[in-house]
Amino acid sequence: MRDTAVQTHPSLALHRPRWSRARLRRHAVPWLFVLPILLINLLVVLGPAVAAVYYSMTDWSGIGAADFVGLANYQELFFEDPSFLSAFVHNVVWLAMFLTVPIAMGLIAASLLAPIRRGALFFRLALFIPYVLPSVVVAHLWSSLIHPDRGVVGWLNERGVPGTDIALLGRESTVLPTIAFIDNWRWWGFLMVLFLAGMQNIPPDLFEAARLDGANRWQEFRDVTLPGIRPVLVFMILMTSIWSFLTFDFIWIITQGGPAGASEVLSILVFKNAFQNFEAGYAAAIGITMSLFVGVVISIFVVLRRRGWEI
Amino acid sequence: MAKRAGPQQLAAVLVFVLLVPVAAISGGSLATRAQDKSTITMWLDSTSGSETAECRIAAAVDPFNAQSDSVMVEPRLQPNRWQATQTALAAGEGPDVVYTPGPAFATQVTEAGQFLPLDAYAEQYGWNERFAPWALDLGKSDGVLYNIPNQVETLALFYNQTLFEENGWQPPTTIDELAALSEEIAAAGIIPFAHANQEFRDANEWFIGEYLNHVAGPENVYAALTGEKPWTDPEFVDAISALNEAQQNGWFMGGVDRYYTTTFADANAALAAGEAAMKIEGSWTVADLNTFFGESGSEWGWVPMPSTSGDAIYDLGIGSTVSINANAENPDAVAEFIDYLFTPETQARLVVECGDSPASVPLEEDALAGIDPQYAEILVAQNEASAAGGYGYTVWTFFPPETRTHMIENIERLWSGGMTVEEYLQDVQTTFDQEVADGAVPPIPNRSLTG
Amino acid sequence: MNRPFGRGRDLSLTPNYVVLVALLIFSLGPLAIMVLNSVKSRAEIGENPLGLPNDFEWSNYARAWEVGNFSTTMVNSGLLVAGSVVGVLVLGGMAAYSLAKLNLSGAGALMLFLLVISSLPIHLFLVPLFVLWREIGLLNSFVGLVIIYIALNAPLGIFLLRSYMLQLPRDFEDAARVDGAGEWQIFARIVVPLSWPGFLTVGLVVALAVWNEFLLATVFLQDESKFTVITSYQNFATRFSRDWSLTSAAAVMMILPILVIFLIFQRRFIEGMTQGGMKG
Repeated sequence: MRDTAVQTHPSLALHRPRWSRARLRRHAVPWLFVLPILLINLLVVLGPAVAAVYYSMTDWSGIGAADFVGLANYQELFFEDPSFLSAFVHNVVWLAMFLTVPIAMGLIAASLLAPIRRGALFFRLALFIPYVLPSVVVAHLWSSLIHPDRGVVGWLNERGVPGTDIALLGRESTVLPTIAFIDNWRWWGFLMVLFLAGMQNIPPDLFEAARLDGANRWQEFRDVTLPGIRPVLVFMILMTSIWSFLTFDFIWIITQGGPAGASEVLSILVFKNAFQNFEAGYAAAIGITMSLFVGVVISIFVVLRRRGWEI
Repeated sequence: MAKRAGPQQLAAVLVFVLLVPVAAISGGSLATRAQDKSTITMWLDSTSGSETAECRIAAAVDPFNAQSDSVMVEPRLQPNRWQATQTALAAGEGPDVVYTPGPAFATQVTEAGQFLPLDAYAEQYGWNERFAPWALDLGKSDGVLYNIPNQVETLALFYNQTLFEENGWQPPTTIDELAALSEEIAAAGIIPFAHANQEFRDANEWFIGEYLNHVAGPENVYAALTGEKPWTDPEFVDAISALNEAQQNGWFMGGVDRYYTTTFADANAALAAGEAAMKIEGSWTVADLNTFFGESGSEWGWVPMPSTSGDAIYDLGIGSTVSINANAENPDAVAEFIDYLFTPETQARLVVECGDSPASVPLEEDALAGIDPQYAEILVAQNEASAAGGYGYTVWTFFPPETRTHMIENIERLWSGGMTVEEYLQDVQTTFDQEVADGAVPPIPNRSLTG
Repeated sequence: MNRPFGRGRDLSLTPNYVVLVALLIFSLGPLAIMVLNSVKSRAEIGENPLGLPNDFEWSNYARAWEVGNFSTTMVNSGLLVAGSVVGVLVLGGMAAYSLAKLNLSGAGALMLFLLVISSLPIHLFLVPLFVLWREIGLLNSFVGLVIIYIALNAPLGIFLLRSYMLQLPRDFEDAARVDGAGEWQIFARIVVPLSWPGFLTVGLVVALAVWNEFLLATVFLQDESKFTVITSYQNFATRFSRDWSLTSAAAVMMILPILVIFLIFQRRFIEGMTQGGMKG
């Protein structure tokens, strides 16, 4: 086995005299531990992604040969395709909704739950359960529930409750917030559990000290709880920002981007162009652009970190 | 565990990771074929259940396998067949017998070089004589036949006959009558049209196509498709305006929000229950109508989609195409099966036993005995239209792909007030011009009314 | 256990309970409706979509099980979950160990790489990946899909495990190193046992993601006998969109296994999260 290893990877060349064992341990072994997953990621993600960079500069239909067209796809995307801008705006709206509502709900629920002894475990479990449901099930369930001719809303509508005679998923003004609501139903409990975990890691004496200073609930939350869970909060803000540019499942299952493109986000555009419009090259260009947005988000965090923010 | 075992075990994991693909490859190549007959593969769509696919196997594949000495067809049920086919074709694989959802899709694949030319087989098996010329024309690229059009379909106005009789309503024949009747139905508190697109946004194109052909007339649509007439002309403005009016009046399922959020099953149930009165849809809906009306105990009826002139116009469409994969190992065997698939006898079996729409081949009336009489009427009417040449043009069959996409997506912007009828048609014209320049418009068969 | 809030305070917890119960109804109400509807007949749902069932129509489950082909798809999903979880835990755990405990040169770059990898849109590389998988014969195979799942789920797993391992005291490792143990031994014998709640957390997160995954499963597994529970549910729900009782029964059956596993392991799961935190 050792021989195989030596032939497989030169950095394992134990017989080379200049590689002392100590040096091996210091430099090669750490990389050996990350190598398998690194190779898999190169194979699955990076290689195909690099291929996609090339395809984004072709007129590839998704089938057969691809002709190089330079930056024509990007030109069309940025200057000629109105659906791109509208999809981008929808992603930003989505980002705004997910940076506020679920995080606020998670924080509120976690801080309400933290001091509770009786039934704490039950609440924590119950509020978390939606997170384990598959998006397909949640999407079908809620689409039925809020349909004005079916489900809970239909039941209310039948009894003449005002405002329930609207198909929220069928109106341009309400469709995107409604899908976000459904997605958030599944998501916020997960945040709550993370925040709660963070809060329970805060040393109790900090709260004692705040109390001795006469802090009220809000001051305690602001001055002790929030700073205490800052790492997890910042991490989730980063992940939310990234995921908001990639969101796909719920929108695709529920509306496929409709009506009238009112719930179309970038990932939906990619899917439609790649699999419905025979524009795989153009789809790749949108995908690359999405990645750039994500890159900007990450860069902002990296820069903040360099500037000494404890992220 | 030996003391310095660390790197060894790491290496073992590494080797495992590297060898997995190799093992998978060698495993794949071990598969051998040991039949005397040459085997060809085909996929049958089973997205919405396996019954239809299994019926098609029993009606077409099994009898073929029983009678052929040299060829064996291996059918496979494939949910989401078209997506699976596309990805497989992209990698130079896929079944030997390739189905696409229509000529526009088939043309794309043809241009990517994934299909074999069929002219020699057409010659050998006499396909040119068997199929209606307009249909076969749609399978050609640059005059060469690549795709056999399957499943000719037409659209009609279906209605709840029991409901109509109770209210003393007459099925309309002109567009004006249709509008007047819709108003009357709506005034009675009933939804005029059980139209919805929740599961299938592309359903928009059924209504766009029907209004274009029946308000503006198929001659004008033909002229526009052949570049002789702009899409922005007043006839088309009238057509799209009429469609827009129907939607704005809440005639489609009670309002545009319901249109977007109702499933076909719910729409059909509403129609069968008399909560809705009519619907414009393709002949493919007959099986569903029989199911839902069977449950409600009402009767359904149909008339041709009304037109401005009151003439019966049938818009024709091709529901799918059949081609030979360029990577097929034995194209002759595939052609033998395709020929069998499109014999009038096989087509009749598919119609009678599985409720399929037939290809444009001459069907014996006797062979169709036993099918739903109203479905038989529709088939006869569409065959006559196909033979006489006075048919209209469905969007998914005769319009180039990008124009079609724009029409389907922008009609929702029109309905929401984000676009005017003029802007809508201007966009159609711009996209269409581009596709004419790119050569993406399918071959439009010459329009002759002499038959 | 220390109580960070409330102890020795006069503040009533009643408002807390009121809000939490409201949130509880919000979270579990829809689920309860689904479970109740799964045992109603189709006719009863039409008249009584929200209340308790009059008759328990258990045959919905038998029918959904059979029509949805769940006996095959459950096994398939289970195999995919098992393979992906083992892969992420072993390979991701190794990487996390290296990042947290070994002096990996270029650790920052690797973290950035993983972050970038995990944030690339799947649609960007879906088609090229499909072509590659066909070329190397991994299409329509569980191994092929498991490799993809490992790759896509590993970054988050590595982040979690790394931060978990960072919090472990170095004493044990240092002692082992002095005794001449190799890194693999330290990893396998000391770090993994100490951080196993973290592994459990990651395993559950990965299991959840794989069990619920839809897009890749439909694209990369084309053979009906290889379908996962989620693809069969999607087809099922489309086909029986009007039969809310049947689709509810199918939904309950497919969420039940993951729910049971979660409830069994919830203490460890939440403990793992508590101690591991989620620092980037």
